[in-house]
Amino acid sequence: MALQISVPAARRTGLGKEAAGRLRRAGQVPAVLYGGKKEAVALSIDPKALAAILRSETGHNTVFEVVMDGDGGEKSAVMIVDWQRDPVRGSLLHVDLKRISMDQRIRVKAPIRSQGDPVGVKVQGGVLDVVTREIELECLPDQIPDHIVVDVSELGIGQNLRVGDLKLAAGIRVVTAPDRVVAHVVSVREEVAPTPVEAAAAAAAPAEPEVAKKGKGEAAPAEEAPPAKEGKKKA
Amino acid sequence: MLMPKKVKFRKQQRGRMTGKAWTGAELAFGDYGLKVMEPGWITDRQIEAGRVAMTRFVKRGGKIWVRVFPDKPVTKKPAETRMGKGKGAPDHWVAVVKPGRILFEMEGVPADQAREAMRLAAHKLALRTRFVGRQEGL
Repeated sequence: MALQISVPAARRTGLGKEAAGRLRRAGQVPAVLYGGKKEAVALSIDPKALAAILRSETGHNTVFEVVMDGDGGEKSAVMIVDWQRDPVRGSLLHVDLKRISMDQRIRVKAPIRSQGDPVGVKVQGGVLDVVTREIELECLPDQIPDHIVVDVSELGIGQNLRVGDLKLAAGIRVVTAPDRVVAHVVSVREEVAPTPVEAAAAAAAPAEPEVAKKGKGEAAPAEEAPPAKEGKKKA
Repeated sequence: MLMPKKVKFRKQQRGRMTGKAWTGAELAFGDYGLKVMEPGWITDRQIEAGRVAMTRFVKRGGKIWVRVFPDKPVTKKPAETRMGKGKGAPDHWVAVVKPGRILFEMEGVPADQAREAMRLAAHKLALRTRFVGRQEGL
C-alpha cells in the first residue's frame, strides 16, 4: 500500500549526547526506528517534515513512509510514538518511530474535541472543564480517527460525560477505563475583594509553618530526647 | 499567601537555577498558559497578585490553575543590623522556576480574553514570560 507522505532519513552512526548535539546544530533531529520484529535503527531526519506531520489534522497518528538513505532505499510504514521538545524553543529534540503493519491492530491515543455549548455554561453560568483530552484505542492503522467528537451541549452544572458514553465506529475498541470522566461543567465562584476584617485576620495568621520533628516515632519520646547540640558537647 | 503547612527545616540555602524546566513545561489542565522564559524566584505575593488579576479580569468566565508553589523560605535580616550574628529570620516564600515552566493555566474563555488575563498576570511578575496555547504549541 502506497502511503501519501514520504520522509527521507539517514542512518546515524554517532550515538550519545555529543553526536546528537552536533546533529541538531546541523539542522537535523536524531530519531530511532523500532518495532515490527526487526532491529532498532538510529536515524537522523529533517525536523521540518516531522513537525509538519505533528501539526497535521491526524497529528502523531499519521502513518507515513520512511525512506532510508542507502540500503537500496528501504521503505517502512511508520508512526510517531513519542517525541521530545525543547521547553523554551519548542523545537524537536528527538523522535521515536515505530514500524506499523497495516493488517495488525495497534494501540493509539486519539484526541477528543468537544462540540456545542453546554447548557451549564450558557444558562447556569458554569465553566466546561475538559478533563481527558486523549483516549487510548485499539484498531487497525487505517481505522484510526483524526479526532473523536464529543457533544457536550446537554451538560448541566455537576453533570459529566464519561468514556463509556462515547460512540465510536465499529472495529475500534476503547482501552481507557469506561468510567473515566471526559468533560464536566463546574461552577466557578467570583473572586470577592476581602473586607477589612478578613484582611486583618489574614495578616494575623501564623507566618511560619510547623517544623516537622525528626523520626517517625510518637511525639512524646521525641520531645523528651535532648537536643542534638547538647549530645555533641558531651561526646 | 501560599506557603507550606509543614517543613523539615525553617531556613534554606539559596541554591542554583541551571538548565531548563524539563517537567511542568507543557499545558496539563487548561487551553492557555503563561510560560516563564528565564530562571528566577517568584514570590508568594507575586503568585497571589497574578492569580487575583486574572480572576478579576475573567470574572465568572473561566477556570484557573496555578502550577507553581512557593516552597522555598527566604530569610531577611532586620534593617540597620550589623553583619554576622547568624542567618536572618524567615521573611517570605518563593517558587524556584527555570525557563520553560508553566506558571498559570486557564480554560473556558476565548483566546483573546485569556491572552489579556495572562498579560495582566505577567505584569505582576519580575520575569520574562510568554503566552502559550494548545494550538500554538507547535
